[in-house]
Amino acid sequence: MTSRTQDRVAESRTVTRSDLAAIRERLRPRLEARGRAERESEPTQRDVLACAGGGCVSSRSLAVAETLEQEISAANLDERARVVRVGCMGLCDAAPLVLVSPDGVYYRNVDEEGARRIVAEHLASNRPVADLELTWQDGEGKVLRGSEIPFFTRQVKIALRNCGVIDPLEIDEYIAADGYLALERALFELSPEDVLGMIHRSGLRGRGGAGFPVGLKWQFVREAEGDEKFVVCNADEGDPGAFMDRGILEGDPHSVIEGMIIAGHVIGSRQGYVYVRAEYPLAIARLGSALQQARSYGLLGDKIVGSGHSFDLEIRIGAGAFVCGEETALMYSIEGKRGMPRPRPPFPAQKGLWGKPTLLNNVETWANVPVILCRGAEWYSSVGTKGSKGTKVFALAGGVRNTGLVEVPMGITLREVVDEIGGGMRSGVPFKAVQSGGPSGGCLPATSADVPIDYESLQELGAMMGSGGLITMDEGTCMVALARFFLEFLVDESCGKCPPCRIGVRVLLNILDRITKGEGRIEDLDVLESLGDHIRRTSLCGLGQTAPNAVLSTVRHFRQEYEAHVCEHRCPAAQCRALLTYVISSELCNGCAQCADVCPSAAISGRREHAHHVDQSLCVHCGACLTVCPTDGIQAT
Amino acid sequence: MSDAISTDPTREPQAFFGAERAQITEEIAPEVWTEIDDYLARTPGAHERLIPLLHRVQESLGHIPFAVQEYVADKLGLSPIQVYGVVSFYHFFTTTPRGENELKVCMGTACFLRHAQRLVETLEQTLGVALGQVTDDRLFSLEQVRCIGACGLAPAMIVNDETLGNLSPKDVRKRVLRLKAKTLRERERESPSETRSD
Repeated sequence: MTSRTQDRVAESRTVTRSDLAAIRERLRPRLEARGRAERESEPTQRDVLACAGGGCVSSRSLAVAETLEQEISAANLDERARVVRVGCMGLCDAAPLVLVSPDGVYYRNVDEEGARRIVAEHLASNRPVADLELTWQDGEGKVLRGSEIPFFTRQVKIALRNCGVIDPLEIDEYIAADGYLALERALFELSPEDVLGMIHRSGLRGRGGAGFPVGLKWQFVREAEGDEKFVVCNADEGDPGAFMDRGILEGDPHSVIEGMIIAGHVIGSRQGYVYVRAEYPLAIARLGSALQQARSYGLLGDKIVGSGHSFDLEIRIGAGAFVCGEETALMYSIEGKRGMPRPRPPFPAQKGLWGKPTLLNNVETWANVPVILCRGAEWYSSVGTKGSKGTKVFALAGGVRNTGLVEVPMGITLREVVDEIGGGMRSGVPFKAVQSGGPSGGCLPATSADVPIDYESLQELGAMMGSGGLITMDEGTCMVALARFFLEFLVDESCGKCPPCRIGVRVLLNILDRITKGEGRIEDLDVLESLGDHIRRTSLCGLGQTAPNAVLSTVRHFRQEYEAHVCEHRCPAAQCRALLTYVISSELCNGCAQCADVCPSAAISGRREHAHHVDQSLCVHCGACLTVCPTDGIQAT
Repeated sequence: MSDAISTDPTREPQAFFGAERAQITEEIAPEVWTEIDDYLARTPGAHERLIPLLHRVQESLGHIPFAVQEYVADKLGLSPIQVYGVVSFYHFFTTTPRGENELKVCMGTACFLRHAQRLVETLEQTLGVALGQVTDDRLFSLEQVRCIGACGLAPAMIVNDETLGNLSPKDVRKRVLRLKAKTLRERERESPSETRSD
């Protein structure tokens, strides 16, 4: 423990169970009001929730929150309205989002001017600002508002229960939302065996990707011999296109902390670590402040809430290595070493951090634990499918209309997620494919849109649940280029320890490189499949074992696209530059000659301020002209 | 290279980095040594303190000079090559100084689908540097990063500490040129004579 922490503990008070009950009593009405939608009432007190999740902060939501506060003060409404900065509300596309409760009115893309209008019209005069309101037209043309929108109604929030509802920097708000109630039960009402039994019966499986039963993992570590044991939270969310864990850490850090303290009690550990990637500064800051508050309340440290259990947590910040999401690599990184995986067994449950038994789960898994103890294993296992219980958080991105963070029950279909929650594709055409699970996952074609999403069915389709990135694509995305993108990423991120991954993935990339340049051969497709299979079977860790998935799943489901590249030298999605024909539109060209300046083969000619044209016999298909044209006058087909 | 794998215990640690080390002679501000000592006094420990410590150095200097790596190694009871092994393994750490303004273009999947590559090309052309390099005037360094989790705002990039989203090649060009003018003005104000003599 650092000296700073010791100071804090010395000056802080330790809460008792009755203190916690009093906080809940006092703040609960206020929190409950945030879930209501009473448009017609004229409440005496309002909470104005301003989204302070990562996406919204990038869209200047903090300035909006500040303006709201200033305007409220200026209008003498301090008694009647209060601004609360909450975590991610989910609908990143409408960032910054503001919710006025208990009215249940959502405002989208609010800027400072919008904030002034919300205060002047809605808060001061009870007239919601109609043109800023978040609305949605359903299939029959009916206009839906706020919480009636399918994006919200189709979700079931368990891990994200407090995200976008409470202020993550206020421990009291978390406590009022039944926070640390599960911990109280675990410490005072249940035996460690009872808690373990509940986790078993809930059917919770690891949300980090592999889906290992959580109860079993806890049991292994509990039964492992060791004088010292550790609890670790994997928050090294490295998959490009995934931000579930960031959302939870930024919006509800205490749920993770609570889950870990409970596990510490069950397995007999006094020390835990949260390993967060360095790319998430906001998550690190919020988690840090949550840890501080929990310590000052005596919820972390010696003899938690007067019980016999002592437990503390430390944050460890990653340093930009994707492979550190692999559990053995992650532990080496915590130890201060290069994050290179080692063969298992021994599993971390036997030999983990510093060779001691270690329990490792990811952020979303930890956030589920308190709910299971509060609402019961039976309730939890009533959500989901036979083999996959509960919910899964997905980061919805790509061509879909409503991008953002969603939590859905296991067993929901891709179509429901993309078309109903996601609102379909921006381009208006049906989606072509969905990429799930990041670089380790695979591509699912639109034909599998009605398969229920759970661990097993995704695996059968050659994809995987992964950590939860869902990238939607339409005809404008070339599947070969996408597979190449993931391989490039993995070649960069391979730690280099085992040859199948270090060399094999590089060879796969070289082949795809050729194909996207129109130099592919038809036998390349067989090589991709057989080599991919070898890499999958022989790599040391999960990174290598899943590295070929992007190639294998696209060859399997989109073979015709590969064949178009190889046999016809054509990219159907018009994305692979070397295979495109560049034509300058005489109507759009303003004759600025920038394209002619950058053209390396002098294929573009024309007089200044007159339309230019491309000599196809000289064109080397580099696409440089495309990037400089100020009028978008170059068509690549 | 033979220098780097020498195991002779009597050698001076400075010699470990061999030729690469010799090319870089850099004055290290005394505060850096104090910062390292203070951190280690506050949070004692050995190997496990290495990465947090490197984060601090990188944050205050923008990179991790070899001399600092040797110092850190000595303090933690490690060999310099163990420290260098960690520095070179993680993308976040770098041994070359960064530009005054750091541009990081997100190359996550969502950004890739929305043509982040075009942002990179535009920046490369505007600044006259390749990805991973620093401009000659040390005004900008251009890097790509793997998913910053702002997928809803794709394509996105980080300029210094600010995340910008929904960018077009034109946007980034304009922003960077504006930032360049602003940084030059600031330089002018700080040391007018220096800039004039350029």
